[in-house]
Amino acid sequence: MARITYIEPSGRSVPVDVPDGWSLMLGATSNGVDGIVGECGGSCACATCHCYVDEAHAVTLPPPGESELSMLEAVAAERRPNSRLACQLKASAALDGLVLTLPECQE
Amino acid sequence: MFSFDPYSPAIDADPFPFYKTLRDEAPCFWSPEAQTWVLSRYADIVSAGQDWQTYSSAKGNLMTELPGRAGATLGTTDPPRHDRLRGLIQHAFMKRNLESLAGPIRDIAATAAAELAGRRQFDFIADFSSKFTVRVLFAALGLPLGDEMTVREKAVLMVQSDPHTRAKGPEHIAAYSWMTDYAAGVIAERRARPLNDLISHFSMAEIDGDRLDEREVLLTTTTLIMAGIESLGGFMSMFALNLADHADARRDVVADAALLQEAVEESLRFNTSAQRFRRCLQKDVELHGQQMRAGDFVCLAYGSGNRDERQFPDPDRYDISRKPRGHLGFGGGVHACLGTAIARLSVKVAFDEFHKVVPDYRRVQEHLPWMPSSTFRSPTRLELAVQ
Repeated sequence: MARITYIEPSGRSVPVDVPDGWSLMLGATSNGVDGIVGECGGSCACATCHCYVDEAHAVTLPPPGESELSMLEAVAAERRPNSRLACQLKASAALDGLVLTLPECQE
Repeated sequence: MFSFDPYSPAIDADPFPFYKTLRDEAPCFWSPEAQTWVLSRYADIVSAGQDWQTYSSAKGNLMTELPGRAGATLGTTDPPRHDRLRGLIQHAFMKRNLESLAGPIRDIAATAAAELAGRRQFDFIADFSSKFTVRVLFAALGLPLGDEMTVREKAVLMVQSDPHTRAKGPEHIAAYSWMTDYAAGVIAERRARPLNDLISHFSMAEIDGDRLDEREVLLTTTTLIMAGIESLGGFMSMFALNLADHADARRDVVADAALLQEAVEESLRFNTSAQRFRRCLQKDVELHGQQMRAGDFVCLAYGSGNRDERQFPDPDRYDISRKPRGHLGFGGGVHACLGTAIARLSVKVAFDEFHKVVPDYRRVQEHLPWMPSSTFRSPTRLELAVQ
């Protein structure tokens, strides 16, 4: 279990306890968090779960793989150095306390 | 004594009361009839779907697998092989690459709908959805028209199973063989005269310098044809059934076609045609007091997870304003449906055009004939009366 804080585009902060192994995309969509779509269902095929990872965690997370890097080229909002796809981040104790800021738009 | 037999006609007809008992009383249930564990709660299905290392697809993903198919398709391989195969095909199915198909899909829908003008009653499947889905697939894959209705008939037959023998019958195997022969013909044609299209690229693709295994090319192409026709058609018939049965929802989407998007999502949750898929355990797992063993098969009952009151309040109510995010109508995780974008686009356009010709309709049959399948659920005939 990891406590993840999602910052919605409105600025509202939503803490969610995401079970181990669940993607942070599912942690958001299954708890009604706004600002994330996840249209492809988590197969890294749509770039609609774009998020910005807080700076402390951005450097400690495993780096994005080839398919995530390729999909990050297709994000709708500004791509930043800490841009990730939430479907590729799996919850674990190491991610406890992570803050994900969601962009203004996903499509 | 409670039993859950995914081969029984009662489950084909209405699995939802059984699912509720499973969720409440036996969330990790051994079905002796199917020789598989059944996971029925949303959270358990999601957890298993995310954990491909434990819940492997390499021994097949259909509840009743077709011979020789496991290990050679996207749905029946695990990462990293799966990810590389998917990478070869995926770009063709991404939303931004489907724009060129939007016009042809609308033309196909309008043509199929126009044939219904003046009819007082018709079979939605034979007279509309089957014509639409097969033509859309042929347009998407660039296949020559001519034998499309035979292709459709075989695609529908190959996903069925025999309720008595609990296996594929000779007619299902024959349909599957016919389809692989058909796919082989298409592949040979593309290799001889390559086009700038999906099958040409895929049939000549390499992974790390090696050509794809011939079985992978053949069975993945076969599966694309099966999914494009049967899965899309099955979902369309369920969507038509929901709109026929829920007059308020139908009036809303006819008055404002933009609401079709919401109605499609709710139908994917409420009674998606893809009800159950299968995984194989790679290690012992204890869940809800049950001891599952490495090598055991596990059914992920998506259709039950979508009705789990622990996730979706008032789950048995069809409510197109629900916005059921995170539903399992397309599965989830690395094996989430490849065709989500083309399916959503096709269904919205099809019903937009259908409603221009047939805006008000009701269901005629009180009891529907259900397809015998342990994996999918949809009627084989859906008579609609125009009001």
